[in-house]
Amino acid sequence: MTRILLARSMKLALLAASACVTATAFAEDAGNKGDPKAGLALVYTCGGCHGVTGYHNAYPNYHVPRIAGQNYDYLIAALTEYKKGERAHPTMRAQGESMSDEDIRNIAAYLSSLGTAGNAK
Amino acid sequence: MMHSTRFATLLSLSLLSAGALAAEGGAAPGKSVEDLAKPCAACHGPDGNSTNAQYPRIAGQYHDYLARAMQEYKNGERKHAIMAGFVNTLSDADIDKLARYYGAMPTKLDDLAHYEQGD
Repeated sequence: MTRILLARSMKLALLAASACVTATAFAEDAGNKGDPKAGLALVYTCGGCHGVTGYHNAYPNYHVPRIAGQNYDYLIAALTEYKKGERAHPTMRAQGESMSDEDIRNIAAYLSSLGTAGNAK
Repeated sequence: MMHSTRFATLLSLSLLSAGALAAEGGAAPGKSVEDLAKPCAACHGPDGNSTNAQYPRIAGQYHDYLARAMQEYKNGERKHAIMAGFVNTLSDADIDKLARYYGAMPTKLDDLAHYEQGD
């Protein structure tokens, strides 16, 4: 009986501990928003393609997207997908591979701070 | 007589091509772009400027980039369960219509050309 009780309380303790770990992970994530100033220093390379109005991707031929004023979380998702090789574009994959997760957050913070109006939170 | 036969042939030809065009429209022949855009609005906003940051703003994005993105979701080059589900029901013509519709909307996006780039 005591063994069962002990096992139960250990399970509870484990559960509580893992809940705390998850909560901390979330809290860290939320507090870890990118720094737009640090992002500004990193976007020099982006301008080569995204900084030319009407610039076309060589092949296949389509416009390079407008990224100033794009939403923060989406930018992080897109850059992370390039970094992991989940999106195919060769130039963007190469760029993504060179970025740390922190670089990506900073770039996203800078780009999403631009545009003509306030950004989605 | 000769004229009316020719006219009839022309008329039937044009009817045939109209039918072919409708068939090319795929799953939703004749659907207006506003109808096609209804599911998009749920995440991207009715004006294409998502207020939830996890979804991209699409209003005023280059239409050929938007079309390319939808084609990539359709052929699996880009993976996104929700986007794949929607785009799989669209024909190439539908994709082009939607891309031009959102591409022409008032935008909050811009080219990076107008901003400081680096130190």
